[in-house]
Amino acid sequence: MSAVMGRAPAIARGGSRRLPRPARVGLYAFLLTASVFFLLPLYVMLATSVKPMEEIRLGNLFALPVKMTLQPWAQAWLSACTGLQCDGIRTGFANSVAIVVPSTVLSILLGALNGYALSFWRPRGAQALFVVLLTGAFIPYQVMMFPLVRALAAMGLFGSLPGIVLIHTLFGMPVMTLLFRNYYTGVPRELFMAARIDGGGFWRIFAQLMLPMSLPIVVVAIIMQVTGIWNDYILGLVFAGRDNLPMTVQLNNIINTTTGERLYNVNMAATLLTSLVPLVVYLVSGRWFVRGIAAGAVKG
Amino acid sequence: MTPVSRPRSRVTRQLVPWLALLPMAATVLWVYVGSIAWSVRVSFSSSRTLPIPDFVGLRQYERLFSSERWTVSLQNLALFGVLFVVGCLVLGFLLAVFIDQRVKGEGLLRTVFLYPYAMSFVATGLVWQWMLNPELGLQQTVRGWGFPGFTFDWIVQQDAVMFAIALAAVWQASGLVMALMLAGLRGVDESLWMAARIDGIPPWRVYLSIVLPMLGPSFGTAFVLLAVGVVKVFDVVVAMTQGGPGLASEVPAKFIIDNLFNRANIGLASAASTVLLLTVLALLAPWLYARGHATRREARAARALAAREGTGEPAVRGVLA
Amino acid sequence: MQTLRTPFRLRAPGLGLALAVAASGALAQANRAEVIHWWTSGGESAAVKELADAYKAAGGTWVDSAIAGGEQARSTAINRMVGGNPPTAAQFNTSQQFRDLIDQGLLNNVDEVATKNNWDKILPAAIVGSIKIKGHFYAVPVDIHMPAWFWYSKAAFAKAGIAAEPKTADEFFADLDKLKAVGLVPLAFGGQPWQEKITFYAWLAHVGGSEMYLKLYRDKDAAMVMSPAFKSVLASFKRLHGYVDAGSPNRNWNDATAMVISGKAGFQIMGDWAKGEFGAAHQTVGKDFGCFAGFGPKSPYLVAGDVFVFPRTTDAAQIKSQQLLATVFTSPKTQVAFSNKKGSIPIRTDVDVAGLDSCAQQGVAIMKDAARQLPSPEMLISPDLEGALQDIITKFWNTNESVDDAAKAIAAAIKS
Repeated sequence: MSAVMGRAPAIARGGSRRLPRPARVGLYAFLLTASVFFLLPLYVMLATSVKPMEEIRLGNLFALPVKMTLQPWAQAWLSACTGLQCDGIRTGFANSVAIVVPSTVLSILLGALNGYALSFWRPRGAQALFVVLLTGAFIPYQVMMFPLVRALAAMGLFGSLPGIVLIHTLFGMPVMTLLFRNYYTGVPRELFMAARIDGGGFWRIFAQLMLPMSLPIVVVAIIMQVTGIWNDYILGLVFAGRDNLPMTVQLNNIINTTTGERLYNVNMAATLLTSLVPLVVYLVSGRWFVRGIAAGAVKG
Repeated sequence: MTPVSRPRSRVTRQLVPWLALLPMAATVLWVYVGSIAWSVRVSFSSSRTLPIPDFVGLRQYERLFSSERWTVSLQNLALFGVLFVVGCLVLGFLLAVFIDQRVKGEGLLRTVFLYPYAMSFVATGLVWQWMLNPELGLQQTVRGWGFPGFTFDWIVQQDAVMFAIALAAVWQASGLVMALMLAGLRGVDESLWMAARIDGIPPWRVYLSIVLPMLGPSFGTAFVLLAVGVVKVFDVVVAMTQGGPGLASEVPAKFIIDNLFNRANIGLASAASTVLLLTVLALLAPWLYARGHATRREARAARALAAREGTGEPAVRGVLA
Repeated sequence: MQTLRTPFRLRAPGLGLALAVAASGALAQANRAEVIHWWTSGGESAAVKELADAYKAAGGTWVDSAIAGGEQARSTAINRMVGGNPPTAAQFNTSQQFRDLIDQGLLNNVDEVATKNNWDKILPAAIVGSIKIKGHFYAVPVDIHMPAWFWYSKAAFAKAGIAAEPKTADEFFADLDKLKAVGLVPLAFGGQPWQEKITFYAWLAHVGGSEMYLKLYRDKDAAMVMSPAFKSVLASFKRLHGYVDAGSPNRNWNDATAMVISGKAGFQIMGDWAKGEFGAAHQTVGKDFGCFAGFGPKSPYLVAGDVFVFPRTTDAAQIKSQQLLATVFTSPKTQVAFSNKKGSIPIRTDVDVAGLDSCAQQGVAIMKDAARQLPSPEMLISPDLEGALQDIITKFWNTNESVDDAAKAIAAAIKS
């Protein structure tokens, strides 16, 4: 196979895997069915978010709104009650951004570093450490709440922005390390050896070779971390402090209530608004799902 | 590299990576090992709302194992685990492969399959609850279309409610598995396809015999992520059924969290989380041992190769710019 | 020379201004109180505003920390106490939820305010029992909610030919049958464990009677639980299951109320917070819907509610804020204004309730008869035992478990 790989000319990218016509039809049919399955709840959410409560109480879930109204959306953003304040979910937006950006950058950086060190350098004992790290990922956060609260309080970081960024970085480490480590095991070792022979040290190889090559997995990592941290509720609630509460706390205050009335249309609108940021990240990340980056490095 | 400098380079070779791994080591020891140790300690006490430093032996564990709710939650975990992991892997893989076929509107399709992951389950879980409710949702609608015998009331049936929850969970997570697989697929060299075409191998065989094995790491990552999701499953259960009907959709994470907070029983909750952790370890240990074994073998081979190649020709030059 | 003098002259008034601003800032933060609570919906927000406004009027600064979901709010408050920066006040239910905090010395008491305002006299005995532990007052009650009202749709009654509210359990079952006969859902029900629990102890109080109720929750009398009388209450409770619709499991309580509002269902057994849903749908009591507190003129009135506790602090300013909060929350004016917005009834019996809606006024009238007051189970048993009983009830409601097995399970739970 390698001989063939070296010999085959670089033919134009299109059409190397064209399937026959009937298979193509089947392909689109499957994708269409899957799309319906995936989009159905979104339809219900959108429809509910533009219906007035009288219609929602009647319970016709899949019916299009008889009287469409955008008031729930305005209310969700501007004036829904989240406690004494009735300012909607926009109040938490800046806080969420302030939490997500550094946490994502730090956790991905550390994860890539760990994955790189684990899969190429393999220092003694690191594998065991990684196993323990991975096992820790299985524990629900709440179990670790008390000791972490005490520890952070002792460090003076409890209820602060650096504190919550630290927490997110710590909890993101197992999964990010796993992600990058497994990705790097798919990278040919000859590459790494060649770089070492070229005189590259630990950091140089990481910065100049591995990181640029990791683009697809970094995109996946960004998707996971932005989503996970943006939608995180419990950690932000406990560790961020009153002045840095993320948007999810406001969202939860709007949606969740024990004995208050529930305005489902506002709830749906608020949820859709909150999820716009991860969605935009997904849309934008598309252009980096390109092929052949790793392959290009080997062929040169 | 002269033989004289090799011992020094070996030391630095060990030291520098460890320096880089220091944050990870600190995290492991302080956050995870420390918290687990604290939790195990509390499970041997009679703590209620707050930790009490007494010692009551295995009383909390006795109470745990005589609790029907806990037994049901473990059974549900096993069932949900199989459904969720298999469902997500299969669906995620198929979606990735199909999207990779140069379909029109790939970007849009990718977002369609990925958007559920962006949404918090508090609201989407409620939508699923409504959709699966026999009076309100799909059953009612399809019956209205003229199929009076159609039943789809999993969510209110004691025996079928976990299937309903698994359905919603697969809906939410397959998109991420698809993204992982896609990243892996995009790492497959284009010339591989060229060669296969030249050799006359049909595409499905290429997928089965070549691509699937190459996606091994992606599957591994996806599997671990999904497994973590299974063990920690909480939001979807609370949003859809609150553990009901009755105790039928109880899961361990919900048992633990209920006892931690609402029932002011952190001793019992710690016992439960210790048992959960031990279960996970018991399942994970054989797999991890096998991987560790393979890695150690690889490492030994790599070190042997490195020892030899100091005297050999470089395979590729000019990799570092 | 000119340039040197001007800055100096400008500096003096600047200094004065700075001092003035600092002084007013200090005053503005006087009696600063950070309050954690879980009132986040529209109606609840309006109610909290009454409390906050009253506190501001008394010279305090209200810093709001609202966290939806009682469990979340309470656990956040506890985490803050553990982490060393507690709020000034935190909301709990009138229950045993904060007993452990008292035992571990994490709460300040408000004995000064209590004695000054005669809480022993003006508060119902059930509430005093909950907030006065070992002779000290550790919480300030702000409302009384009754979790076991009966709500019904006038339209559904008309359709089923029901002329009057049922006065006994048998009449109630007869009405349920009438509703079933005309194709309506007799009992709108939300099959979540906490709702099943509330329905059970409501049924126990209304049908089994106060004595039986207290024997279970206060005395933990296992022998009574195994008696035929109790078992028959269990059986009639299960009988209700035949009158709920197939979609009831997992349903939110508001969705069940919506069924009553739209006339699809006849009755709902739910707390007085259901009024908020009727109000949001612009329905009026007496015209579109009705409410009654139990069967007959001597039915028991379950007392539940919310309190605020004061985390331990030695900061004199914080203690002053805590005492001011306690005073403001229990003042007659605040109580009336708050109850109006909240849908609850005031904790003191000596206030003017003319402004409250008719269901609340019914409640206040009943409360005047001390014999009819029953503490809710969470005041009598620990959260752990309440949870264990809830598990038993939800299993009994949702499966074919026999009455005997359920009774055995309950007896075992209360014995341990």
